[in-house]
Amino acid sequence: MMRVLAASLSMLLLLVAPLPAHHSHSATYDGERQVTLQGVVTRIEWVNPHAYLFVDDAESDGTVTNWAVEVGRPFDLERAGWTNTSLKVGEVVSVRGVPARSQSKRAFGASITRVSDKQQLFVVPAAKPGAQAKKEPTPRWPDGQVRLGPRPGEKGFWGRASAVGMVENKAGDIRMNGDALLFDLADADRVAPFRPWSRALYLFRQRNLLVDDPLSRCLAPGGPRQFQGAYGFQFVEQRELKRILVLLGGENRNWHPIFMDGRKLNTEELAASPTYYGTSSGRWEKDTLVVETTGFNERFWLGNGGLPSTTALRLTERFSRPDYATLRYEVTVDDARAYTRPWTAAWTVEWVPDREIQEYFCEENAETTFIR
Amino acid sequence: MRNRTFILLLLLSVLSWTPASGLAQEGHPLTGSWTGDWGPSPTERSNITLVMEWEGEKIGGFVLLGATSVPIVAVAVNVADWTVRLEAKGKDAKGNAIDVAADGRLENIGSAHRTLTGTWSQGTAKGDFKITRD
Repeated sequence: MMRVLAASLSMLLLLVAPLPAHHSHSATYDGERQVTLQGVVTRIEWVNPHAYLFVDDAESDGTVTNWAVEVGRPFDLERAGWTNTSLKVGEVVSVRGVPARSQSKRAFGASITRVSDKQQLFVVPAAKPGAQAKKEPTPRWPDGQVRLGPRPGEKGFWGRASAVGMVENKAGDIRMNGDALLFDLADADRVAPFRPWSRALYLFRQRNLLVDDPLSRCLAPGGPRQFQGAYGFQFVEQRELKRILVLLGGENRNWHPIFMDGRKLNTEELAASPTYYGTSSGRWEKDTLVVETTGFNERFWLGNGGLPSTTALRLTERFSRPDYATLRYEVTVDDARAYTRPWTAAWTVEWVPDREIQEYFCEENAETTFIR
Repeated sequence: MRNRTFILLLLLSVLSWTPASGLAQEGHPLTGSWTGDWGPSPTERSNITLVMEWEGEKIGGFVLLGATSVPIVAVAVNVADWTVRLEAKGKDAKGNAIDVAADGRLENIGSAHRTLTGTWSQGTAKGDFKITRD
């Protein structure tokens, strides 16, 4: 039986694990309401970016409605020991979740319990920063250079970032949800040194629950946002070709090169044909990879949460690997059209050992394939 | 002059072939190509195209009135309500001065096909306008 509670349950969204996704979780689901369902599982879709259960919920008048219940990323679920056979079609579950803002019969499952044995299903423990880190030393090439990828013969990639949103280092603690929506919009002035128009645009997107996020249209996460994605990334160091390839796990599995041949970036030339990822030239400064990038277009958000940028954007990124399981990322944003001065943000990214990046193509997402 | 006219006609041709889907534009809400019309009444309309782009740290660009390109000399945006004032000044093919002033409001700024609507004056003629970002 389905019940929708109108009680204020905004905190419920905060209790579930943050779900950086191709669509804004906050724009899709209504955190002010809660839904409870009970019924037979009719279908299980174990797909990226989110797995779904379909549940026949029976009303007291006998009406049966089929609900699509989102249960999280298969990658996270599998790391927690769940598979697509942990629950079988035909079993009865009870679901407590957050309903969609639209009238569609869709919900995010905050709690799913199998009725027959009362077992809670698809529970993913909250990530503990550093839990994966065995504090093993930084891996190096034979010449002593830091390796950005796995050791020879091993697997792994860079996974979840320590920060959901992108804020200036000196901003202090700014509370935001898993979509990088500010708890208090008054904090916007600490996020970055905005120009009036870029501040107004950022606030418009925040108030609009990020519904216009270009990622929801399967566009590329250019700039720093690529290192805050939910599906990870990896570096392929092609030393003989003097370049490093950055391979992204999510969205459209984009890639782009960091040229390590000492080339100078011709700003005017690159501005004539701007791209999502710009053109990057890198160099090693001791154990830190320093990457300068310019030639960006204006078709992406700089970070989760709706930060704008312009074609004047120039990034200086610093990548270091203080131990085997930690990537430290620092980026200085220089875009005088959008920001009053250069500003710097930083976060760390955790190493996912013994796994490969899962396949996920944005166009195959649930909204366009099996949720109608 | 003939070359300039050819380039403008070519630009108009290219703009007319811009796909209906348009391209995302997540930077300043005004930059990009805009098309629409203006006129003193619903039955008297003239096509207009505006191209707004960054000129240093300011927004500039030009207004295409037929085959005449009129430089935009001032753009003011009130971000509190996204109202916009545009001024363009130039000369037509005969050397006559063209003064355009438009006051409008940006709507649906999260969309690639955001709109700008308001009042338009061109010399002594006045009317309303609506343009949509391509």
